[in-house]
Amino acid sequence: MSQKKQQMQVEQKVPENVAKKTVRDTKLREAVAKRRTERLAANKTRRSQWEKNGQAYEAEYKATEKSLVDNIRKAKSEGGFYVPAEAKLILVVRIRGINTLNPQVRQTLRLLKLRQLHNAAFVRVNKATIEMIRKVEPYVTYGYPSRTVIKNLVYKRGYAKVNGQRIPITNNNVVEQQLGKFGIHCVEDLIHEITTVGPHFKEANRFLWAFKLRGPRGGFIAKRRSFINQGDWGNREDLINDLVKRMI
Amino acid sequence: MTSVPLVSVFSADDSTKVTAKHIPLPAVFQTPIRPDIVSFVHTNIAKNRRQAHAVNPQAGMQHSAESWGTGRAVARIPRVSGSGTHRSGQAAFGNQCRKGRMSLPIKVWRRWHRRVNIKQKRHAAASAVAATGIVPLVLARGHRISQVPQIPLVVEDKIESYEKTTDALNFLKRFGAFEDVQKVVSTKVVRAGISKQRGKKYRVRKGPLVVYFNENAKLLKAFRNVPGVEVVNVTRLNLLQLAPGGQLGRFVIWTQSAFAHLDKLFGTYRYASVLKDGYQLLRPLLTNPDLARIINSNQVQEKVQPAKTTTVLHEVQKKNPLRNTKAMDRLNPYARKQRAAAIAAIKANTKGTKKIKKNKALKKASRAAFNKVSAALNDATNAAVQEEQDIKVKYFSVQKGAAQAE
Repeated sequence: MSQKKQQMQVEQKVPENVAKKTVRDTKLREAVAKRRTERLAANKTRRSQWEKNGQAYEAEYKATEKSLVDNIRKAKSEGGFYVPAEAKLILVVRIRGINTLNPQVRQTLRLLKLRQLHNAAFVRVNKATIEMIRKVEPYVTYGYPSRTVIKNLVYKRGYAKVNGQRIPITNNNVVEQQLGKFGIHCVEDLIHEITTVGPHFKEANRFLWAFKLRGPRGGFIAKRRSFINQGDWGNREDLINDLVKRMI
Repeated sequence: MTSVPLVSVFSADDSTKVTAKHIPLPAVFQTPIRPDIVSFVHTNIAKNRRQAHAVNPQAGMQHSAESWGTGRAVARIPRVSGSGTHRSGQAAFGNQCRKGRMSLPIKVWRRWHRRVNIKQKRHAAASAVAATGIVPLVLARGHRISQVPQIPLVVEDKIESYEKTTDALNFLKRFGAFEDVQKVVSTKVVRAGISKQRGKKYRVRKGPLVVYFNENAKLLKAFRNVPGVEVVNVTRLNLLQLAPGGQLGRFVIWTQSAFAHLDKLFGTYRYASVLKDGYQLLRPLLTNPDLARIINSNQVQEKVQPAKTTTVLHEVQKKNPLRNTKAMDRLNPYARKQRAAAIAAIKANTKGTKKIKKNKALKKASRAAFNKVSAALNDATNAAVQEEQDIKVKYFSVQKGAAQAE
């Protein structure tokens, strides 16, 4: 009886389909495991690089701040004045809705990525952009963002434009995929590029979707007036930071 | 060399004995199962047994009813003429009226029967025969065939000479077909509805279908009284019996000669049918329906692209990195150290930032310069004020002097 059982076991053949599929599956599984180990190793090196970058940027920011203070003091001690460089970066916030807009204004706001009320966007300062902002001045407020504000905007409200979709920046793969070829591999690199308006500012800014902010806690003063006239629109230089902190 | 499916013919007396081994399956059993054709043909052919009926053409119209017209505060429907009874003045003729004629009364010349193309009817019959050879379909139709030795069940011609119902019953019991008959018996119910008073008292299920060949076979009488069992000659196979209700997979018991006749009746894939003029069996769409084998074959797998890996670009939920340490760590590993340093600094009771080396000398110098400038400004303003006062005094004193002079 047991002999017959043994015979049956020997004669038991695996169907051809099944045999082929198991071979294929094991090969695929091995490939996946190999890819995984490679990916994990690569991730480790990437993470250490991000940490180094973060450290380097912190030192850089501190150095720039320190040099500004030192320059001011030096100038004062010589009896002169230190005029810091004009801002290279502005943060524009749209404060007017969509109704009854002049078509040129509408188009310019769209070009500045400000399609919605309380949308904010970074803009590089040059003759062209200054002219654009002048066109839409009564509908926006703008100023020179501080480092903290830039950092908070990107971390809390940072979304990327990937394949025309608005993707949250939850990990550095999003940044790496789109901006890796420009030397921007992590969020800290992105923030650095924005704050210092680096050589790839255009690509970095294009990568960012417009920041969708909430209405300011405590409200506006008077949107119908310019900031200079005890209102809200137009250039408010450094005071943009106070406003945006209430809007983040 | 292609393999042909084979069938055994069983002895009528002993279900374990096989009189003829390995008879090839007639080509009909290989035709594609086309439930769409079968259901179409069945719905139309089932109408052909109907008898004409109609309502009385005069029903509801046997009045001299006329409308009263307008101006009498009643609806304009025709009303029954006359007086002296409740019925007079009541509405008549309309389909909405009580005792009125129905709308569109049924006529006997309604089109009761349907003609179906012969080819479609033949294809349906072939499909239905093929389905009787497929166990899952027969089981799905509801036949109790778990004890039947083979599907299709082919038995030697001896059963065609059965005359007694007992022989028929014993035969069914021997071949496990009696369970199906028992099902029919136990599920016989009185029909719901008026039809029970019109000659259709019971609803009876379908049991096995016995198919024979020789015209003067006596088995018709033997099987006639067994509930659920139907007997039919193979030359007169009926779709309404092969697929009752349009449902494929009747349980069929074939006699050997009937089974052999099927090739002549329906033809094969090599020869057209002999008895059905110009009829050729339907060809299947796929010659090799074994999709698993095709997909796993070397020829296909060589050309196949590697499977797409699903790479998720971002986490499903965005967490705020400014508040969520794990989310922050994912983006900026250096933040952890910064935070630790800040906390340590607070604990050490110093400012939260790294100690900036103050340039004390520069600070002192700038302070001194500021003081100097402010002092100079102070002196200048004092001097200006004093000057103004002097001018005023001078002016008034001059005036005074002038006044005094005058």
